[in-house]
Amino acid sequence: MKNARKGEMAAKLADLKYTLYLLRRNPLIVAGSLMSIFFIVLALTAHRIVDPSLASTFDYSRNYKWNNPLINWGPRVAIHPGPESFPLGTDGYGRDLLKMIILAIPLDMYIAFVITAGASAIGVTIGALAGYVGGKVDEAILRITDIFFAFPGLVLALVFAAMFGRNITNLMIAVLLVWWPTYVRLMRGQILSEKEKAYVEALRALGAGHLRILFRHILPNSIYPVLVQMTLDYGGVILTFSALMFLGFSPSPALPELGNLASDGYFHIFEAPWLILFPGLTILIITLAFNLLGDGLRDVLDPRLRR
Amino acid sequence: MGKEEPILEIKVLKLNFHTYRGEVKALNGVDLELYKREVLSLVGESGCGKSVTALAVINLLPENAHILGGEILFKGEDLLKKSKDEMRALRAKEIASVFQDPMTFLNPVLKMGTQLEEVFMLDTNALKSAAITQKRQGKKISYADFLSGKMEYKNETNNMKVSKDDVKKTARALCLDVLQLVKLPDPERVLTQYPFELSGGMRQRCMIAMALARRPLILIADEITTALDVTIQAQVLHLLRELRDKVDASILMITHDLAVAAEIADRIAVMYGGNVVEVASTTEIFRRPLHPYTVMLMRAIPSVTKPVERLESIVGTVPDMIDPPSGCRFHPRCPYAMPECKTKTPELKEVAENHEVACYLNR
Amino acid sequence: MENILLVKDLKTWFPIKSGIIQRIIGHVKAVDGVSFGVRRGETFGLVGESGSGKTTVARSILRLIEPTAGEVYFDGVNVTKASRRELLNLRRRMQIIFQDPYASLDPRQTVNSMLTEAMKIHGITSGKSEAYRKALELLVEVGMSEEHLYRFPHEFSGGQRQRIAVARALAVNPDFLILDEPTSFLDVSVQASVLNLLKELQKELSLTYVFISHNLAVVHHMSDRVGVMYLGKIVELAEKNALYYSPKHPYTFHLMAAIPVPDPEFRKEEVLLTGDVPSPVNVPPGCRFNPRCPYAAERCKVEEPFLIEQAGGHWVACHFEIDFKSGERIS
Repeated sequence: MKNARKGEMAAKLADLKYTLYLLRRNPLIVAGSLMSIFFIVLALTAHRIVDPSLASTFDYSRNYKWNNPLINWGPRVAIHPGPESFPLGTDGYGRDLLKMIILAIPLDMYIAFVITAGASAIGVTIGALAGYVGGKVDEAILRITDIFFAFPGLVLALVFAAMFGRNITNLMIAVLLVWWPTYVRLMRGQILSEKEKAYVEALRALGAGHLRILFRHILPNSIYPVLVQMTLDYGGVILTFSALMFLGFSPSPALPELGNLASDGYFHIFEAPWLILFPGLTILIITLAFNLLGDGLRDVLDPRLRR
Repeated sequence: MGKEEPILEIKVLKLNFHTYRGEVKALNGVDLELYKREVLSLVGESGCGKSVTALAVINLLPENAHILGGEILFKGEDLLKKSKDEMRALRAKEIASVFQDPMTFLNPVLKMGTQLEEVFMLDTNALKSAAITQKRQGKKISYADFLSGKMEYKNETNNMKVSKDDVKKTARALCLDVLQLVKLPDPERVLTQYPFELSGGMRQRCMIAMALARRPLILIADEITTALDVTIQAQVLHLLRELRDKVDASILMITHDLAVAAEIADRIAVMYGGNVVEVASTTEIFRRPLHPYTVMLMRAIPSVTKPVERLESIVGTVPDMIDPPSGCRFHPRCPYAMPECKTKTPELKEVAENHEVACYLNR
Repeated sequence: MENILLVKDLKTWFPIKSGIIQRIIGHVKAVDGVSFGVRRGETFGLVGESGSGKTTVARSILRLIEPTAGEVYFDGVNVTKASRRELLNLRRRMQIIFQDPYASLDPRQTVNSMLTEAMKIHGITSGKSEAYRKALELLVEVGMSEEHLYRFPHEFSGGQRQRIAVARALAVNPDFLILDEPTSFLDVSVQASVLNLLKELQKELSLTYVFISHNLAVVHHMSDRVGVMYLGKIVELAEKNALYYSPKHPYTFHLMAAIPVPDPEFRKEEVLLTGDVPSPVNVPPGCRFNPRCPYAAERCKVEEPFLIEQAGGHWVACHFEIDFKSGERIS
């Protein structure tokens, strides 16, 4: 009996090893995964690197000042003479921008994680239901999904903010509502095609019930594109959310959030160009990291290339 | 047949496929000769390299294929040394091919009539002379005449003027004739139909018609009856037999079905693991198969005329072409394997009149 | 002779819908009135070309596709009217091997998992160690070994995958097996070994087979009695040698004549059918074969013949008796 368990584990391990081998050979995915890991680690340790109370420490004497001799922004920029160094300058509240960015990363990563996980969980469940059950249930779900597809994210966020107040949770819900329909369609498509495959018919002939077929066989075989989509979406969500913040939906103007930091920089673009540049760059790099990871994953998990 | 010059000669052709799993040593020194006006059937199971050989002849190999050595002589010239354009010209005129799935080789958005005419239009000179002959003689030129080139004004086409309309009409008439020749019911209607409206058997016959329309010297037929029903397969084979008498072409018939080969081929070449292991006339190879693989293959096929209680299977599996067995690739499964079989691949040698085998047993 | 399977006037029609409101404008009459019995322990062969309905018959018998009309009895139990629970029990006793070994196994399941799952569904074993032992037994039975237990389908060849499919079917101790083109995708030499295995298993485990194939030589090798299907109906049914060597229906005659023979010295007359294999959407009136039948008379275009027993055990659906040598119709 031990043999049995060992054997099964060994087989799955070998399969995993093969996946890792494929991952290693693809430079895209190596780059993407390294960068993504970097950001995740940073997100987890940010509060130890930088004291979070710095976010609420305002010192207006030091606002919009640049200190880093490496870049010369031009004559309109105020240089801070003092002993502290601000590698990326200061923001409107006199805080070190670099430290704020580091504090903002865990917030954005967490938000993106919740939204992506939530949207995919909801979308996958509904999509699986639609795909497997078919018929009128399918039709109904499709129409509801179509309605949600039509919602412009910004408008929905506006409505939410106006109705329920401007806080992070509400904004997350708004973005999630706009995001989940993609997963419905994705999952439904996968299920529809898996459903027709011969092994499903073979299982029915064996006497397997619907639940067993759906959860133990069809779902595991359909999940790969969803994983890829989730990874790609991660970057997209960060982009969308920070865009919302940038446009002014932020609950508090001093909140260390990438979009929010950039939003202040918009009004001071000539005196303090770093304020919009560096947060923006950070958003770009994070999005890029997860996009590369997602693309690489898609290449690796493509069943035609494996085997 | 006999000791005349072969029209196509493949000499020690070696070919690898470069895949991420390693080098697939698909062809291990293939020797093959195709003579004028004969039907040669290349028989083998999956992975033996029969389709690859055909693709190598017409240079339609996938990108990851590398030819490591050997020659493919067509009318004395090495095809491997020809440029892409030269090969394209050859494919258009002299070496025609028909494949297993006609749906993927026919343009789905063009009517059959258009596609068929297109083929005739490839050889404008011949068409022109046909048109002229028709005009002058006042009677329709049949496809059979067109095939055999019996047209009067062949050499004077450059000086003759013939309207585009006439040429088109001639092409159309020839198309109809061809379709009738391949026994398609209601050819007029077929010309106006799209490929998806036709059945598999009809599409296959259209493909054969299109292939022959070029009056090729060689027709390569790669598993053309595999996807067809038995009665349709019989029709297609019958068609090929009839055409073989009318057309001057040699046919290279690739199939995994020995029974089909027995029905239509003059000679049969058996392939295994990237080599030709035995070649002989059809009657000879069935009467006296010499290579152990051929023998065992024949015993594995159920026959309605000679039923047996138990079919004989061959021990082991088809060789792994990435890491193939050394020497003779059949030796791990061969009941007569000798020490020398493991060291060097046996060459194809003639051991009896028109009977070649690649085996150390028959030295 | 007791019939373990009895099929009575089985009909499976698929509706054709069209238009925005999806009106039913016609039916694909894939199986249109098929009746036959299979005796315990025999191999019943079912042949036919594309559109004949043989695959649909197989699926309708097992209710993988719900039949439109008719009845199927397995060992006395009415399969067509069985409840869910009864059907589950029936599914244990009636198994099927599919045509495509590359698609009929879940690519993410190990062999062991497949076999134990089959047993689990029907509550056959208790405990992991017993399941493991049984799985091993099954593998050895089909000619494979322990090391194969923990591999995934893609690591096996076509022939091996079919063996695994057989093992999986045997895991539930069936009495009856439908073999739907089990060797069509396999190489000749592999086909021989799989067919041998099937024959051995039949003897050892007293199984009854329905063997479906378009390869007439293989069906002849495997079967005891054979039925020929054309456009959804059985046109002839007889003991195999009677069917193959003295066919009575014109379609059967042409079918047998079309079989390529791996013997160049066998001279046979070339008898060809005109036209194409028809589609079950437009079934001709009268005898379905009449548009292509060289012996068709006026009666054939109007009246559909019944499957009648002509000689002992030899059933034919034709209005006439035909002497194929002379080509004459004898009424």
